[in-house]
Amino acid sequence: MNTRREFLSAAASAAVASAAANTTSKPISAKADTMILLWMAGGMAQTETFDPKRHTPFEPGLDPNRVLSTFKPIDTAVDNIKISEGLENIAKVMDRGTLIRSYQAGDLGFILHSRHQYHWHTGYAPPQSVAAPHLGAWISKALGPRHPDMPAFIDVGQSLEIGAESDSLKSFHTAGFLGTEYGPFFITNPEDAMAAVRPPAHISHERFAARYERYKKLLEAGGAAESGAQQQDALRRAVDNAHRLLTSPGAKAFDLSLEKKESIEKYGDTRFGRGCLLARRLTEAGARFIEVTTEYIPFRHWDTHENGHTRARVTKQMIDRPIAQLVLDLEERGLLNRTLIVVATEFGRDMIQEGKPDKPVKDQVKIPEKLQDLRQYGMHRHFTEAGSLLLFGGGVKNGHLYGVTADERPCKVVKDPIKIQDLHATLYHAMGIPANYGAEIEKRPFYVTKDGKGKAVTELFGA
Amino acid sequence: MTRCFASFVLFSTALLAADDNDTPTWRRMELRAPALPESSATHPVDRLLGAYFRSKQVTAAGSVTDAQFARRAYLDLWGLLPTPEQLAAFSADANPRKREALVDILLADGPRYADHWISFWNDHLRNDEGVVYHGERKSITPWLRPALEANLAYDKFLQALLNPASKSDPDGFLIGVNWRGDINASQTPEMQAAQNTAQVFMGINLKCNSCHDSFISRWKLKDAYGLATYFSAKPLEIHRCDAPTGQAAEAKFLYPELGGVAADAPLEVKRAETAKLFTKAENGRMPRVLVNRMWKMFFGRGITEPVDDMDARPWSPELLDWLAADFAANGYDLRKLMRRIMTSDAYAMQAWRDAESKPYVFRGPVPRRLSGEQFTDAIASITGEWRRLDPRQPGPATYARDWQIKSTALGRALGRPIRDQVITERVTAPTTLQALELVNGSTLATLLHRGAQRMLGELKPAPAPLFDSGQVTPGTKELIAADVDVAGRKKLWLVVQDVDSYDPARTEALWTETNLPGGRERIASGASSTNVLDVSGLDRFRAKVGLAESSKASDVNPRVRFFVFGEEPDPKQYLAVKGAPPVAVPPVLRNADALIDRVYRHALSRTPSAAERRAARAFGVTKPDGLEDLLWAVAMSPEFQYI
Repeated sequence: MNTRREFLSAAASAAVASAAANTTSKPISAKADTMILLWMAGGMAQTETFDPKRHTPFEPGLDPNRVLSTFKPIDTAVDNIKISEGLENIAKVMDRGTLIRSYQAGDLGFILHSRHQYHWHTGYAPPQSVAAPHLGAWISKALGPRHPDMPAFIDVGQSLEIGAESDSLKSFHTAGFLGTEYGPFFITNPEDAMAAVRPPAHISHERFAARYERYKKLLEAGGAAESGAQQQDALRRAVDNAHRLLTSPGAKAFDLSLEKKESIEKYGDTRFGRGCLLARRLTEAGARFIEVTTEYIPFRHWDTHENGHTRARVTKQMIDRPIAQLVLDLEERGLLNRTLIVVATEFGRDMIQEGKPDKPVKDQVKIPEKLQDLRQYGMHRHFTEAGSLLLFGGGVKNGHLYGVTADERPCKVVKDPIKIQDLHATLYHAMGIPANYGAEIEKRPFYVTKDGKGKAVTELFGA
Repeated sequence: MTRCFASFVLFSTALLAADDNDTPTWRRMELRAPALPESSATHPVDRLLGAYFRSKQVTAAGSVTDAQFARRAYLDLWGLLPTPEQLAAFSADANPRKREALVDILLADGPRYADHWISFWNDHLRNDEGVVYHGERKSITPWLRPALEANLAYDKFLQALLNPASKSDPDGFLIGVNWRGDINASQTPEMQAAQNTAQVFMGINLKCNSCHDSFISRWKLKDAYGLATYFSAKPLEIHRCDAPTGQAAEAKFLYPELGGVAADAPLEVKRAETAKLFTKAENGRMPRVLVNRMWKMFFGRGITEPVDDMDARPWSPELLDWLAADFAANGYDLRKLMRRIMTSDAYAMQAWRDAESKPYVFRGPVPRRLSGEQFTDAIASITGEWRRLDPRQPGPATYARDWQIKSTALGRALGRPIRDQVITERVTAPTTLQALELVNGSTLATLLHRGAQRMLGELKPAPAPLFDSGQVTPGTKELIAADVDVAGRKKLWLVVQDVDSYDPARTEALWTETNLPGGRERIASGASSTNVLDVSGLDRFRAKVGLAESSKASDVNPRVRFFVFGEEPDPKQYLAVKGAPPVAVPPVLRNADALIDRVYRHALSRTPSAAERRAARAFGVTKPDGLEDLLWAVAMSPEFQYI
């Protein structure tokens, strides 16, 4: 097991990025041991969630330019923070975290979800000359598993076969050049998380155990113990480790049937709800990095190209209870202060503006001059100028608001803009990883933040 | 934009210009075959290695057995295990030169050779099956597979890739992997082409100096742009770390002494010139790079490492140059090169199992892991359970080698790369995550489960559909008519198969205008559904199938296939299959010892020892579950997974 001390001593030796000798990197004391990324896939509209603007109700003939938010704002547990109707549970826990309203997505030209997701998850925009590792893979490499029987990087809820964008998704749900050792352990369907750690459907536990015993005897009979080649020993060890993991008490963490009915209900009867509940169990069992996604499937969930108002209502319903419950459960168990929860999305949305106000890109949705049908009412365009994200636990300030956007369209960031490299530097900072941590590939240094230059926003941390 | 790597420590650089007496042989453009040392050995590789071993005071390891040799050769040339029948024939052959003869037989089979080596080239040319991005990317498989099958000479092969002048040429390679939207200046298609051609064909890494002068090599920013200009219709402006410099790039080949044209020459002229520069006889580096990659494929480690840095010192400059010169003299014939390597005693040496010494000394091949493709195809050939390609149109599936199918979780775990970049080296080390996929992943489990049943003759043949609609999507213009003879049948199975709808839960598939009585004229089904109908007394079943209007929304994006069956269908195989599998299906066996023998001979190219036979019997192999578990255990053994 990789301990934090081993890692930090490595970091202090200034050779973290083997060839990349940036001697200014100082060890950082970690604020969190675990990170949970709750991914709002498809571009969550900030004005319909955590950055509500003037509410304009629907009426036939409505001028779309008048529409900034299609929901009313509501009060939260924090005096100066209002969020959008439909997020009442999250509103109640807003005093346990920090709300960032000034995230500026990458300036990548024509908007493509998978490309922005790649950019968010790796810090680099494709194409790249080498395969960039996922945030979770870097954390896995830097810190190792927190518990030896729990994979360091667990990726919950994303099917990798979603039609046309499947390949684009696969290209960043990986450890990239770091190699499969640091790659994600996939739980595609959180409603059946046990499938990932139990024997294949047609093999009973007894048979599975017997198969392993017979396999060991068979190898022994073949004199495998004497073969001695290092590669071959490594293969045997890997098979042994897999069995240990699958049969360890830790594997029970994947079994949601062990939860009380009430706790399942508290998280809501949805895939995402189950994913959040699973994240709580995995955190308790010693996971290092968990991503739970609402799942990216083109035109579904947060990917609202039409009928945005209604779909935002439904999707908010899906995320509100589980996110709030996860915060409360971890708090109740005394784990929140050492667990960083991040709620994030690839970019924001707007009714009118596609891309950035200063650099508009090709519209992908036609907006009528007057809205006639409720289906035309909502945030149907991709907005990369401003987006919201939430941080809970992991040493971030409680009830804190960071960043401000204008109240009138185009609702630009007017204070404290934060871009991916500084956001990542902040998240890595919480985990005790310097922004210029990296690895060597083809004799070149490659860093967790672009060129190793991310600057953590340290004012987000503290009491 | 700030400078990249501002805090980076400068590395010392070895500067070199055109060949001179101080330039070590492997860095020269000139290529000359070194004289072969006096030796009792006849094979040139062995004569060179004999002298090498003497100088290193290494006693060469002995040769592998005939059976081990056959296993190596089949896997290296066809990517398949020798079958017990092939192995028996080879063992029985009294020809003293039968190893050489086997290599010739294997090399002569173009299709099987191509079905294995295409994976190597797909990695290096980052070509993949069915992989599409939003943005441009173009498969070169329709050119690549025939080029390999026909053993297109490597210089011609490069010329087609570098100068895709005719319609059948593989322009996908130069198009690159692009994503819609703005692209960093160092990743434009021209810069990708420069980086990839330099890396793959010349063993030169231009990635650093695509942004700025390299800190780790002699290559400059202007060198990357110099080569990129050859792939660009317009003159290029040099960008430093994504910022324009105002400086126009010259067309400059990596080794200008080989020639070149002006930057403003037409694209066709520039590409034609590039094709010449990379492949002309004076370019000695091109064959060195290729033979080094091949040596690595057959021995697990290059003569020069890393294989993308051909300025690094080879462990035998003489061997490298002799093979490269021989390759060039043989008209850049890839199969002749393989033959040359595989007929040496060196190829047949027992694997060196200890850790690598520093500096490296060649003591024999390194154990090589089966690739994901070899592993999956091996399981398929042992069990006869091959994967299939379903056509979009109505009609039967075809058997497929693993490379033909989009990568699975199993394949990716075993090192099949995501080919966003050129891949010159796969990561093959065993890891826990990979073992998890092998231990409880569904791809392998399903393959073994069905395979064991098949070997025991207990897998019922899947019934063929009476009707197959082909894939139906919102773009399918009209309802598709089914009209099936059902005379004498009691029951019909109406099946809808989901083929990756975005939202299967909201997909509604319709059987309409049926000739069924009693309110069954219209049957609405989900994306994955089976309706069993009583059709006693009916002569024909008629219906029209299609998608409900309500499910044609963009966020549902339904994609389904309709089938009618007269017998209970096999949900794993709705489609019939045409053609022969890549390897003859093994005979059905029911005797425990015969089964165990067969598994060992096929998987490991040997018979089991008495102790192994006892241990194998304990699985209860005459039952499908027991045989499945034995197959799994053998597949997990290092002996199976390493060559």
